[in-house]
Amino acid sequence: MSLSATITDIQRFSVHDGPGIRTTVFVKGCNMHCTWCHNPETLSFEPQTFFYPDLCIGCGLCDEGCYAGAKVDCGKEMTLEEVLAVILEDKPYYGQEGGVTLSGGEPTCRPEFSGALLAACKREGIGTAIETNMSTPWKNILESVRHADLVMCDLKDADEERHLRLTGARIEIIRENIRRVSSELGKPVLLRTPIIPGVNADVETISQIAAFAATLPTLVAYELLPYHPLGVDKARALGTEAIRYEKPSLDLIHTLASAAGKQVNRVRVAGIKR
Amino acid sequence: MTYQERMKALRAKKIADTKAKMTQQGYMDADDYGTVPLPEGYHFEPTKKDGGIFGPAACIENYERFMENHPIYVDPLEILAGRWRDRFDKYREDFPWPDYFSYDHLKPLQELYDTNPGIAKWAHFAADYSIGMRLGWGGLLQKVRRYRALNRDPEKEVFYDAEERTVLAIQGFIARHIPEIERLLASETRPEIQATLRDMLEANKNIIDKPPATFLEACQWMAWFATVSRMYNRDGAGCQLDVMLLPYYERDKKAGILDDEKAKFIIANLLLVDTHYYQLSGPDVEGNDMTSPLSYLILEAGRMLDASCNLTVRWHENMDEAFFRKAVETIFQDRRGWPRFSGDLGLMNYTKNKGITKEIARSRYAVGCHWMSVPGREYSLNDTIKINVAKLFMVAFDEMMTGGGEKSMDELTRLIRKHMEIAVDTIAKGLLFHMEHQHKIFPELVMNLMMQGTIERGENISQCAELFTFGIDGAGLGTVADSMAAIEARVVDEKKLTFDELNAWLQNDFEGVMGERIRLMLASSPRYCGGNTLGDKWAKWLSVTWADVIKSYPMPEPAQIIPGWFSWSRTIQFGQTVGATPNGRHRGAPITHGANPTPGFRKDGAVTAMATGIAAIQPGYGDPAPLQLEFDPRLSAEEGGIDRVAEVIKTHFRMGGTLININVLDKEVLMEAHRDPMSHPDLVVRVTGFTAYFCALSPEFRQLVIDRFIDGM
Repeated sequence: MSLSATITDIQRFSVHDGPGIRTTVFVKGCNMHCTWCHNPETLSFEPQTFFYPDLCIGCGLCDEGCYAGAKVDCGKEMTLEEVLAVILEDKPYYGQEGGVTLSGGEPTCRPEFSGALLAACKREGIGTAIETNMSTPWKNILESVRHADLVMCDLKDADEERHLRLTGARIEIIRENIRRVSSELGKPVLLRTPIIPGVNADVETISQIAAFAATLPTLVAYELLPYHPLGVDKARALGTEAIRYEKPSLDLIHTLASAAGKQVNRVRVAGIKR
Repeated sequence: MTYQERMKALRAKKIADTKAKMTQQGYMDADDYGTVPLPEGYHFEPTKKDGGIFGPAACIENYERFMENHPIYVDPLEILAGRWRDRFDKYREDFPWPDYFSYDHLKPLQELYDTNPGIAKWAHFAADYSIGMRLGWGGLLQKVRRYRALNRDPEKEVFYDAEERTVLAIQGFIARHIPEIERLLASETRPEIQATLRDMLEANKNIIDKPPATFLEACQWMAWFATVSRMYNRDGAGCQLDVMLLPYYERDKKAGILDDEKAKFIIANLLLVDTHYYQLSGPDVEGNDMTSPLSYLILEAGRMLDASCNLTVRWHENMDEAFFRKAVETIFQDRRGWPRFSGDLGLMNYTKNKGITKEIARSRYAVGCHWMSVPGREYSLNDTIKINVAKLFMVAFDEMMTGGGEKSMDELTRLIRKHMEIAVDTIAKGLLFHMEHQHKIFPELVMNLMMQGTIERGENISQCAELFTFGIDGAGLGTVADSMAAIEARVVDEKKLTFDELNAWLQNDFEGVMGERIRLMLASSPRYCGGNTLGDKWAKWLSVTWADVIKSYPMPEPAQIIPGWFSWSRTIQFGQTVGATPNGRHRGAPITHGANPTPGFRKDGAVTAMATGIAAIQPGYGDPAPLQLEFDPRLSAEEGGIDRVAEVIKTHFRMGGTLININVLDKEVLMEAHRDPMSHPDLVVRVTGFTAYFCALSPEFRQLVIDRFIDGM
């Protein structure tokens, strides 16, 4: 029987999820619950429905399907072959740099599907990358990333207690997995930190994470991702609430990037050339 | 003043001129051109007979007077003289064709399919600049006189007389600028301005009669041709600019009389004088890249001008990668909608037409809004011949619904093909009618001078071109493909409604809440450019059928007809004649633009999906189906951003794409300009094939650009 997974979305011509032109596959479901998550629709493993009341035209036929965009299904069970078929549509554009990025949710929660999908892409000659929180057991990580050319992963904080409280995961497991992916598997690692004012947006925290990044033998770059409150409205449309943090100022980002630069080379800010 | 400062001042003046032109003319849903406002009190009264201006004698009589009456223009900050403000053909527009050559028998079908039949249309082919630049105006005059003496045919006398007087009228017009240059020079105190006024004076004195000898003279000559040809009938076809100017550039550089800064200023001035369409780079007949240092300099000159500009870079596999990259960077850095890109591989499909060699196809340069033409050899009327395929589709659909026969996809496709055949037959008959009479109505007095065989034979180009390759553009591809996809998905497969119910909703334009629900249901069907969707399937079917109907039509030689997909800026007018369509489009709403999909074609608006979809519907005979892209400027600020765009361009062309127009616009700026157009008077956008100031567009056209742009975000 074919492998399948619940897919939130497949985005073609994705330009924020790795080098070159990419197709990003968002697997639904995440083991963490970061309070600043900008994709809250990917947290649950189950299909969900967005509700946008402003778009409702009042036809009263909700059960027969909504075409107005007021009720939007989120999450669709797709076989590996179906996902691959979409990825292959942009194969001519990937070139040397681009390819597929497997994202989430958390793709390592579906290790068998994730590993097999990236393996299938490699067989097709397509470059592969995975975006992972690195917080699942090592066997999940190993199976998911073994066919990835690039591993993009987050280290969101340096404070153990705060990290556990705000994300539901332990930093030490994440650090250990990142270390092993870099040193044991030799996978190129792009380490990233979302900059959340009021949580981790201070020189001390970022310097500590950057210092960790410097220990990784295969580090591609250390990247700061400025927080964006994109997830707040989406959470509301799902019937939940998300915390609205402040957007970090450019000055703050530059200060943090400079601090990180003292610990590690190749610091980037959300893909912006520096 | 430095050259840079002068160009900055000229740009500011151009923006002020645009405002003044808007006051004079209102909104301008067309190319910016580069004209300057008409002076107070200007007036031209043509002499008309039979209600219009018909035939070589009447045309030259009026053009002569028009040229004598037209204001001259010299700006001391420039190095080139001249600018057009009024057009002769404007005085023919209200009655362009006489009653005594009637095509009333074609009109019912032309109107049924809402066609632009090309009858009575002018220009829209390419003059061969090398003819004029080799001979100069004096040489052209001698050539006309020589062949006039050789062909002592009374019937041709009127033609030769008109051509001879055309050259004299042009020379007279140029000559009127000399005293003005001298006057300005006499009163000028700034040494650097005096120096360029002296250059201007000398160049103009030389080229009134003699062929251009220097780089400056060559550019001034081209500027004059661009000006007087526009003034006659709005001809905007340029040439392969870097190749045409290269010998002059190299000679002057070697002689030590030209440096790159001055050359750049001269080219920027040429581009300022008129927004003629010029091609850069591309392969020669053997496939060798033609990029030269001058190609780079022309790009830089365009950047120096920093306004609307119609430069097209022809991409091919052997292209100088650094030049291509510089061209892509220019789009992002300047954000003026240029350069455009054309694809050699797809354009070489032109060789599939009768008698077209590789050499001819390679020399078919991009010199129009969306079109290419072989300089001096081809009479194409490109962009003037269109069929509103959305209207044609609804004619077929209505026939199916009211004919009492079968209602199915098979029947619908049969009827679409049947009506395409009738529409193409109507267009073809109109073109043959045009070829038979056009020389008696509105001869190409200016362009004939630089075509092959015209002066030699004493015939208008519409009688004697080596190639008669008329491009027929379909308009509304996306509207029709999405309509067919919606019918197949919602009526045939899912049976959400019957054909009759669909028809009833179309008739009442999706009235009421339930109508809106039906409309949204239809509009959310799998669309063209969605990526292997039903819409993509039907778009391909439509394009293959379109090409087959056109290419299998028994057009009498030497004429040929060639399929393309393009709407120009007529999406709004075409839409006004079409009722509600099964893709959920309201009655009278615009049809889709060019070969582009309906806005909102995909949730992610993936340009790769659009580029693939449009590459797949290329009609395959060398006439374009352009891809119009809108990008967020932030893309270039990102690591690898330019590379990504470059990859999209290359891949689309490798798939057989023919032409790409790109806008890079800042969303905030665009939305602000939409609310208050004069808040950004210098905002330039590529509307269809042409660039224009956003503020000068009508609100409907601004909305069109906005809709496309939001999709590309």
